[in-house]
Amino acid sequence: MEHTESNITPAPMLEARNLTKVYEDGIKALDNLNLKVEPGKIFAMLGGNGAGKTTAINLFLDFIQPTEGMALINGINANKEPLEAKKHVAFVSENVQLYPNFTAMQNVDFFVRLGGKTHYSREQYEAALHRVGLQSSAFDKKLKDFSKGMRQKTGIAIAILKDAPAILLDEPTSGLDPKAGIEFIRLIGELRNEGKAILMSTHDIFRAKEISDHVGILNNGILMAEHSSDDLRGVDLENLYVEYMAGYMEHTESPIANALKPS
Amino acid sequence: MNNRAVPLVFNLLFLNLLFNSITMFKLILLKELKEIIQSNRFVISFAVCSVLIILAFLMGAQNYLASQAQYEATIQENRAQIAANTEWYNINHTITLPPQPLMALVNGVSSDIGRNIEMRSRGELIAENTRFNDEPLFAIFRFLDLEFIFGIVLSLFAIIFAYDAINGERTSGTLKLCFSNSISRASFIAGKFTGSFLGLSAALLIPILIGAALLPVLGIELTSDEWLRLTFIVFSGLAYFGVFLTLAIGISSITRRPSTSFLLSLVVWIFAVLIIPRSSVMIAGRMVDVPNLDEIASQKNNYRIQLFDEDRPKLQNFSIPKGTPPAKAFPLFSKFMGELSEKRQDKIEALEERLNEELENKKREQQKLAFSIARISPAAVFTFAVSRLAGTSLDLQHRFNDSAKEYQKLYSNFMEEKTGKSSGGIRIIVSDSDEQEEKKNLDPDEMPAFNFSETSFKETANSSFTDIGLLLLFNLVFFGGAFASFLRYDLR
Amino acid sequence: MYTLLVQKELKNILLSSKFTATFIVCSILIILSVFIGIQEYNNAVSQYDINQQIASQNIEEANGWDRVRNIAHRKPNPLQIFVSGLHFDVGRLSNISSRDDVKLSRSPYSDETIFAIFRFIDLAFIVQVVLSLFAILFTYNAINGERENGTLKLAFSNSVSRAKYLLAKFSGIWLGLIIPLLIPLLVTLLLLMVYKVPLSGADWNTIAAFFGLSMLYVTFFIGLGLLISALTQKSSLSFLLLLVIWIGSVLILPRIGVMTAGQLVPVRSVAQIEALQQAYEQQQWDEYSESLSNSWKQRMQEMEGMTEEERQAYRDEHEWNWMEEDDALRRQVRENITKNNRLLLEETQNRKNHQQQLAFNVSRISPASSFRLAAMNLATTDITLKSRYEESMRTYRDIFTEYVEQKKEETDTQGGFQISIDSDEGVSIDFGRDDQKLDVSGVPQYTAPDVSVAAAFGRSIIDFGLLSIFIVICFGGTFVAFIRYDMR
Repeated sequence: MEHTESNITPAPMLEARNLTKVYEDGIKALDNLNLKVEPGKIFAMLGGNGAGKTTAINLFLDFIQPTEGMALINGINANKEPLEAKKHVAFVSENVQLYPNFTAMQNVDFFVRLGGKTHYSREQYEAALHRVGLQSSAFDKKLKDFSKGMRQKTGIAIAILKDAPAILLDEPTSGLDPKAGIEFIRLIGELRNEGKAILMSTHDIFRAKEISDHVGILNNGILMAEHSSDDLRGVDLENLYVEYMAGYMEHTESPIANALKPS
Repeated sequence: MNNRAVPLVFNLLFLNLLFNSITMFKLILLKELKEIIQSNRFVISFAVCSVLIILAFLMGAQNYLASQAQYEATIQENRAQIAANTEWYNINHTITLPPQPLMALVNGVSSDIGRNIEMRSRGELIAENTRFNDEPLFAIFRFLDLEFIFGIVLSLFAIIFAYDAINGERTSGTLKLCFSNSISRASFIAGKFTGSFLGLSAALLIPILIGAALLPVLGIELTSDEWLRLTFIVFSGLAYFGVFLTLAIGISSITRRPSTSFLLSLVVWIFAVLIIPRSSVMIAGRMVDVPNLDEIASQKNNYRIQLFDEDRPKLQNFSIPKGTPPAKAFPLFSKFMGELSEKRQDKIEALEERLNEELENKKREQQKLAFSIARISPAAVFTFAVSRLAGTSLDLQHRFNDSAKEYQKLYSNFMEEKTGKSSGGIRIIVSDSDEQEEKKNLDPDEMPAFNFSETSFKETANSSFTDIGLLLLFNLVFFGGAFASFLRYDLR
Repeated sequence: MYTLLVQKELKNILLSSKFTATFIVCSILIILSVFIGIQEYNNAVSQYDINQQIASQNIEEANGWDRVRNIAHRKPNPLQIFVSGLHFDVGRLSNISSRDDVKLSRSPYSDETIFAIFRFIDLAFIVQVVLSLFAILFTYNAINGERENGTLKLAFSNSVSRAKYLLAKFSGIWLGLIIPLLIPLLVTLLLLMVYKVPLSGADWNTIAAFFGLSMLYVTFFIGLGLLISALTQKSSLSFLLLLVIWIGSVLILPRIGVMTAGQLVPVRSVAQIEALQQAYEQQQWDEYSESLSNSWKQRMQEMEGMTEEERQAYRDEHEWNWMEEDDALRRQVRENITKNNRLLLEETQNRKNHQQQLAFNVSRISPASSFRLAAMNLATTDITLKSRYEESMRTYRDIFTEYVEQKKEETDTQGGFQISIDSDEGVSIDFGRDDQKLDVSGVPQYTAPDVSVAAAFGRSIIDFGLLSIFIVICFGGTFVAFIRYDMR
């Protein structure tokens, strides 16, 4: 964690204000979420399956409409002006699939152009693919022959090349082997250092702790707690997480959580 | 070591193995059944197939009743027309091919052949008025019959069910999981085929039975012979269904991805069902040079004219002793003319017979070649089998003609009895106009009735069993292929 | 953005092995069908030529104008190469004589029943069945497949509007499927030229219209595929649904529509009509012979009490009038019969038209029926093929019989041959013939009825319209569904 805290807080690149989503079947997927991600920061949403992480990301991308509140990208309401808002965001999904009949290069080319970046040369594409750790021999292979990790790398290359100030990552490390995981974390760090605001959802506690500037713990759509990485230093995050998940925080006092509570 | 123990141990081992395979086979079979019945695919296609099959029976019944009504009306008009006459030599008697329930269920060529034959005492009989010529409306989209449902729709459903039988399990990972247990590949694929075939054919049998049960309700009584033939039609249908099931399983066991196997199966289906039967019959049909029917007709006609020309001087040279009173002269002349015309008619008939036989032989040759080539497609084999069973194959034409010829003898005798010796085309009627005898209208019941000799199961059994056997052979070959390729299938 | 999306769709189609396979199959089928169609057409033409020759030869060699047998033949139509329609089901020829009414008989399929078993594959069939199936195969996962791929999410994480995306998708798929389709179609045109199929300018226009119709039809299935894939979340489900819809609309509905409606309106069979006609004819002739014998009796009465010479004189004086009277009566009877025949036929034809209209309208709920009906109307191998020919042959029959009557009078031959029996001279037969061949140069020739392109277009316009409406509905539906599509 090389970056330093500054006293002036810049305007948040990604912001959720009272973001609430209730599905038609009455399930409250997200309850009054408030979060801010400034440029050069990584916010990790931790939570189990169904905690509301993906819902939050879908709201930022206008895939679903919020019941209440708003999701802002660079100050633009993502649900009111989705086309404008989405110019400022890149996205990497969980389990990147892409077009199976296209080569990596064709996929990258299409999506990057779709992101509005039409000036890249092949060399730049190659550089980006290299940067994410894809082997040159795979550049012109069809995606259907790719492994999960390779597809994920291609997806990240697309996000990098879009060069948007905000990046949304939905479970980016799920299914990656440790080596690929480490490479990925390194890459995210680099992007942060380039000044990107990164919002990622994950259930990988260790990586979240390792890289994030802020960690939010979601359970049943509620942001149970938000901690800075400094807060978490030295805390047994795993236990904390499990406690949150078990719903301890609502009823009993957990020693770990207590330690974190602002006094 | 005990000598006797070896075979015993071996036997036990073998039995154990066999028992194990049977248990596994049963397990796979049941899994397959459950998997099919619980799937969306099954629910939707079962619903569609049931509706279609029952509809085919309903429409077939409707079609039969309508043609039956039309047939009866035609017969009635024919009788009325005869009854309106006062002289037998004036009548225009037309016999009609009676519709049959199985004809409506398996249309075959029954709508493409002439249904009416104008009866004459002598000479060639020509079947006219094909249903499609009379009612071209039905020729545009043809009928919805069992042959169509099985031949096209159900074969497509067989493919939809089985295209991912093996590779689908590979992609979903269940194949690996299955084979992490001690199960032989043989019992796996055997169980798979048996399970899917039993599940699907049992499902198909339900609407078929309902449809068949509807026939008597709708007022269509089948004879026991017809029931037997219908049973074999359904049996051929299921055998044909099995062909496409094994074919699709085979294709899915030589490919890695369901999308590939589906595409491949579909292409094979298009060729086997839509293309090969049609093009093989067309190409082979054109390879055998069948004489032009119009040329033959004109040949016959010219011969008739030529013969008459030859006889003309004879007629002109006819002489009777002078002074014979006309009342006596006339019968003499009439007799002379009758004899000449009889001779001519014999010659014409000989020529007609020769030409027709040549034509028939050529046609048979053409048919043999075309059918042998078409039989590379199971769809063609199926069509041949069921149309034979239903009595709507090309034989129908021959049978109708043969029945008509048989009837012609009766008719000819009857007419001779009523009107005297026919003089072949030229009739001289001497009516005494002074005689004011009240003429009586004719009674059509006096005429012999036309009976169409229907096929019986026994007659069709031989020829259709060859095709049913061929269908079973297709099953065996495709299953063998699927089996062999699955033994070497890369499970990863 | 739009072009980028279109390019992607195009690439996505053209690069897939699915496309290669289907393109090859379609090309083979299209070219094969037209090739076989040309062979069949040439076959029909040579048969037609021979038959024409035989027919005129038969007239030439007849023993007199009274014995002329004429046959009119249906002329093969080069457009049947593409749309065989009812060509194989409708009779090829009709006798033309004063005695029999016109009736087309001997359809190609009844003559060569072997070809009826599997019927003929024409281009219209391939478009109707195979191309529509392939159109579905390329579109069933157009939208939900992208959802499953995750590419939909990824694409919409950019600032792309749904409307634009959908429009681009549609155009991309359309171009990707329709343009390659043009290649084998153009090859078929080449085949037509190589085989020198005689096509008029109007025929070329019709072919162009038929190609346009085919594209419209395929477009409908592209739209349908998009619609269903925008209404469902899983591509496996949309595939199954589309297949069921395809089977229903392409294979089942046209048949059911026609069968039910056809059976709702019962129509007299030809044999029935013939029996009715014969009964009337019989009755007319009976009346005729009765009135003939009555008039003879009357004439005899007039001559009652005359001497042999007076009788002869009276006869000589009146014979011509009597003959004229009898002749007029006979003509009257013939006319009555013809009139009655036509009336019966007309009645039946009206009922048939009613039946057909009903059947077609019912079956038109399926675009496949619309396509087939429009294609047949364009190629003029449609349901009116039979009545059109029979009508024109009837007109020809009138002209022809009039000509023959006239010739008969000119050459002074009466019907049949005359047998006179005389107690003195015995029997003598007068054939009243000349041994020369008849001069057939003036015999009116039958010309096939011509349907103007405008009329053919006019009759297919409803179906063009219906197909367009179907397309608009599909596209509108897709649009609405996609705007609200859940991309997750």
